[in-house]
Amino acid sequence: MRCRSISRLLAILALAGAALAGGGCSVSKWTVRPHQRELLADRIMQLDAEAQERAAEEHILSNREGAVGGSGTSGGGCGCN
Amino acid sequence: MRLQLRRLLPLLVLVAGTPARAADNPTEASARVTYFQEPSTLNRGIRVVHPQVDVSAPVGGGVGIAAGWEADAVTGATPTVFAPHEGVDAITAATNFTDFRQQAHGALSYDRADSGIAASYAYGWEHDYRSHSLSVTTHDDLYDHNFTLALSYTHNWDSVCDANNAATASTLELHALTSSQHCFTAGATDVVTHRLNIDAVEPSLSWTMTPRLVVQGGGTIQILDGFQSNPYRRVLVGSQHQEPQEHEPTYRQRYAVFARAAYAFPQWRASALAMGRLYQDSWAMQAVTADLQVNKYLAPWILLTVRGHLHVQSGASFYRDGLGYRVSGPVGQYWTGDRELSPMSNTLIGGRLAFLRRPQQEHSSWFAEMEADVKYELLRYQLESINAPNWDRPYAHILQGSFALRF
Repeated sequence: MRCRSISRLLAILALAGAALAGGGCSVSKWTVRPHQRELLADRIMQLDAEAQERAAEEHILSNREGAVGGSGTSGGGCGCN
Repeated sequence: MRLQLRRLLPLLVLVAGTPARAADNPTEASARVTYFQEPSTLNRGIRVVHPQVDVSAPVGGGVGIAAGWEADAVTGATPTVFAPHEGVDAITAATNFTDFRQQAHGALSYDRADSGIAASYAYGWEHDYRSHSLSVTTHDDLYDHNFTLALSYTHNWDSVCDANNAATASTLELHALTSSQHCFTAGATDVVTHRLNIDAVEPSLSWTMTPRLVVQGGGTIQILDGFQSNPYRRVLVGSQHQEPQEHEPTYRQRYAVFARAAYAFPQWRASALAMGRLYQDSWAMQAVTADLQVNKYLAPWILLTVRGHLHVQSGASFYRDGLGYRVSGPVGQYWTGDRELSPMSNTLIGGRLAFLRRPQQEHSSWFAEMEADVKYELLRYQLESINAPNWDRPYAHILQGSFALRF
């Protein structure tokens, strides 16, 4: 039952993402222009830590906790460059 | 312990083996050493030295390469048998051990202005465990780089050494592995090799909401199929003092959803990052994790980071504490002495100082940026009872230093 509810949640998230990706016209008013990205380009705004530090951190925590995930997908980011 | 180091390797490989987005980053060489110490009130506890070396470089045309090496030098003591810490059955004997694990990884990436793909491979080896891991990651920027859709997939082909229990009639008679001396040796009859296949998928969607705010949501699905017990660990089960090898299910599905955000405070030259995660798996474990990090430039060349981390989890369906296994026996056909499968919570607090040197443009220099970091974190475990696994090791120190050059 629990696995089914998780699967349903993931499906809803996927549909929400697809709807967002397909709604280009409505999204445009939310876009941040390139000249507005100065703050976002700073290293302190990166959701992912530097890869080597992130690997070390996950190496420790994933071996001390029973859960995994949540650190994002490598290559994801704010697209601010 | 040794198996624990491997269980989540796919995600680690994904992180360590994937080069930074080549189109965005310069050539980089970095080295890092982490010292992990988990003191014990009963024995030597655990000490791990974890060195890492990585290089990455763009080679033109949007192609980037990366390579790296890391190791775990582990020394310490681990209980011979998972048993109650109190009462007449208390067993405090511990086995001293040393272990050395290495991993080499390499990656190739191709980036365009608004998308990219990377593939990485890693090979990890130690006396009793071998691992091949292949990972592919893609990302695609949408709507003027305001959204980034990313997807990664990793597969692991792992081999685990175990005692040969072919002649064992019952799982309650399983013998634990006592030495890795004959592991992966042709013709050895006292040990066998088990397979463990791990698949992991991680989609994520990032959104640059405002000039100050970035948010990200995503998930992780991981499926483990194969031997997942610690082959060295024994568990005191039932009133007849049987001490069989730890026996965990061979199949596990794990799911996590997460959300993250970063917000800038330009007036303070600072930012705040937050993360929340919900986790559930087919062993009936549920967990909630929260993370908060604050970054602030104390000077243009000094960056201070302060971080807090909270993790709360339930136990696996077949988990009981040492007294529970002793008095009531196992839950179904499985038993474990793994702390990470017990009901527990972790709190971590710490800070990092990063020293940056960026030569002024008017001065010629052989590097673009030099960085030296030092970090300390304290990790505390709150276990449910005195008879929980590793009750004698309530906290850990994490000390880390790193040096990086970017050209």
